[in-house]
Amino acid sequence: MTTQTAQLSRPIGIGTRTSARGWLVRGTAAVPLLLLALALPARTDDFASYASLASIFVMVGLSMNVLTGYTGQISLGHQAFVGLGALTAANVVSTGTTPADPFMFAVGFATAAAAAGGAAIILGAVALRIRGLYLALVTLVFGSVFADAIFTLPSLNGQDAGVSAYRPTALAGNYAFYLFTLALVVLCYYVDVCVRRTKVGRGLVALRDNEQVASAFGVNVLGYKLLGFTLSGAMAGLAGATFAFRSQLFSDKDFTSVAGFNLALTFVVIAVVGGLANRGGVIAAAIFFALVNPILSWVSGHSGWHTFYLDHKFYISNAIGAALLLQTVVLNPGGLGQVIRPFARWFGGRRFTLHDHEGDGVAAMEGSNVRA
Amino acid sequence: MSVLEVRDLTIRFGGLTAVDGLDLRVDQWEIVGLMGPNGAGKTTAFNCITGFYKPSRGRVYYRDRDVTKLPPHRKAALGIGRTFQNVGMVKSETVLENLLTAQHTHTGYGALQAIGGTGVVRQREKELVARAEAILELLGLQDIRNRRLGALSYGTLKLLELGCALATDPELLLLDEPSSGMGPEESHELGERLMALRKELGVTMLLIEHHVPLVAAVCDYVYVLNFGKLLAEGDPDEVRTHPEVVAAYLGGEAPEALEQTEAEDERAALQESAPAADAPAADAPAAEEQPKPRRRRSIRKESA
Repeated sequence: MTTQTAQLSRPIGIGTRTSARGWLVRGTAAVPLLLLALALPARTDDFASYASLASIFVMVGLSMNVLTGYTGQISLGHQAFVGLGALTAANVVSTGTTPADPFMFAVGFATAAAAAGGAAIILGAVALRIRGLYLALVTLVFGSVFADAIFTLPSLNGQDAGVSAYRPTALAGNYAFYLFTLALVVLCYYVDVCVRRTKVGRGLVALRDNEQVASAFGVNVLGYKLLGFTLSGAMAGLAGATFAFRSQLFSDKDFTSVAGFNLALTFVVIAVVGGLANRGGVIAAAIFFALVNPILSWVSGHSGWHTFYLDHKFYISNAIGAALLLQTVVLNPGGLGQVIRPFARWFGGRRFTLHDHEGDGVAAMEGSNVRA
Repeated sequence: MSVLEVRDLTIRFGGLTAVDGLDLRVDQWEIVGLMGPNGAGKTTAFNCITGFYKPSRGRVYYRDRDVTKLPPHRKAALGIGRTFQNVGMVKSETVLENLLTAQHTHTGYGALQAIGGTGVVRQREKELVARAEAILELLGLQDIRNRRLGALSYGTLKLLELGCALATDPELLLLDEPSSGMGPEESHELGERLMALRKELGVTMLLIEHHVPLVAAVCDYVYVLNFGKLLAEGDPDEVRTHPEVVAAYLGGEAPEALEQTEAEDERAALQESAPAADAPAADAPAAEEQPKPRRRRSIRKESA
């Protein structure tokens, strides 16, 4: 009897403290993940390059997280912001020396973020007046028109050769560059965390749920929507600049017509499959969608399907995206984030539990009054 | 000085005049009721006062300042708090997060500071949490601090919404049916709570309310709307026995006035119908009362 009540009095995940041994176990469990993230890309230049692509997708994913997850606005034209970032950074850096001066390199990133953020304000201004399906359509048109109109200007896109975007000597190696992209990811992640934990994120979420309530709480709904777009655009611009420096070349073909639209769709799918407003899930989904093509290419190359894969490249990854999207919407509305949340919580020092509701701990506490 | 003064407020939606020439006044530390049958335009009037709708005509003064054209968030920052008819909170957040969100204009740091993650923010956030907890304690809701809203009963939500409105640190609180979804016991408690809030926090209130005992218990003054027009005003007891108010709520034995209002000027209708209404209502105290001019309210206040 006493043992039973003693158990009841300590509800799951509340009032427990992780022991030194617990942290040791968690540290050990983190080692393989760190190896995957840091040691594997160090093996070959190609691995490092793919890892950088994953970083870029994570940045875009966080950008979508701010816009779609927190602010509740959809964007089917995000490739325009990424592309604009790439275009701006490449043009800024190509005016300087080769290899790039670190200062110009930094300026490239800053202008890329500013340009994409500025373009996002324009889209945001439109979004103030419309919502839902109409907003989706307008962003779709905005994205493709913006990309097709600006990225194809011969004076900006370096014509057929593209605009070269050389990296500074210190980052010339792919692995060094990958570590640099990780730093950028950390920056975006930090901004995301700061947004979510302060009045900015609360204001965005409030206006996402109910604009009237948000403004009754004193949130400037118009201003905050624009802020959401700007932040998201700036992050996408950073990702775009990274994209240009990764291949050391800006080519408009990556962002216009079918390729561009494919990117835009992938970004939306990342936000939804990862889980709306769920940072961890979005990051996982971004990594998955960045690596699915290289991995499929590798697998098909080793199993004699390589020509088939190359012929149907877009279809295959799109089909995977569509299947995951359906699975998420129908069966798993919380997305990947919901799946990995127990693990993430465990790494954060709490008990491993599949119970998800925030309130459960409290409910358990209330139930635990039977102690006497 | 009046806290809120509304003059000749009118709003039309297409051919429908939802609120028609409404005048009302709320003085410091008063609790004023706004009554009327469904569709009378009470909530629309609220939405005009708080800036969600732009009135077609008329002015809204807050502490003698013309705030007619200010957007809702600016009015919230000035100290006009409100609740909604159907619980207005951020559904996907927890109780505590809602109370933090409601303190949006009192965070003491700017959006850029927040995004940049400066040290000030962390300190201020702690203060916000402390204040949210104080409000929870004031309302006796400490136990649900970390619950999501979906798990709460309607009555609790209404109470919590009041807490959120208080978290915006209002000087004037507009409550849209605060007792809906509550039983007689609970609404009695709510009445005492509102009185206590006024005493402790010095909040002035304007409330839309159907629950007559609650109105009678807490309100210093009552306005009654019908078809967008002011039907009657006065002390709660006075208004409760007012023949037209009774008719408007119960229908059926309606005096001619109700049919006439559509065609005629309301003031004229009021004056003509009041004696006529005596016969069906057969209410002695009401019969003695002469029809009053609409500005009666301000006269009474000046003499007081």
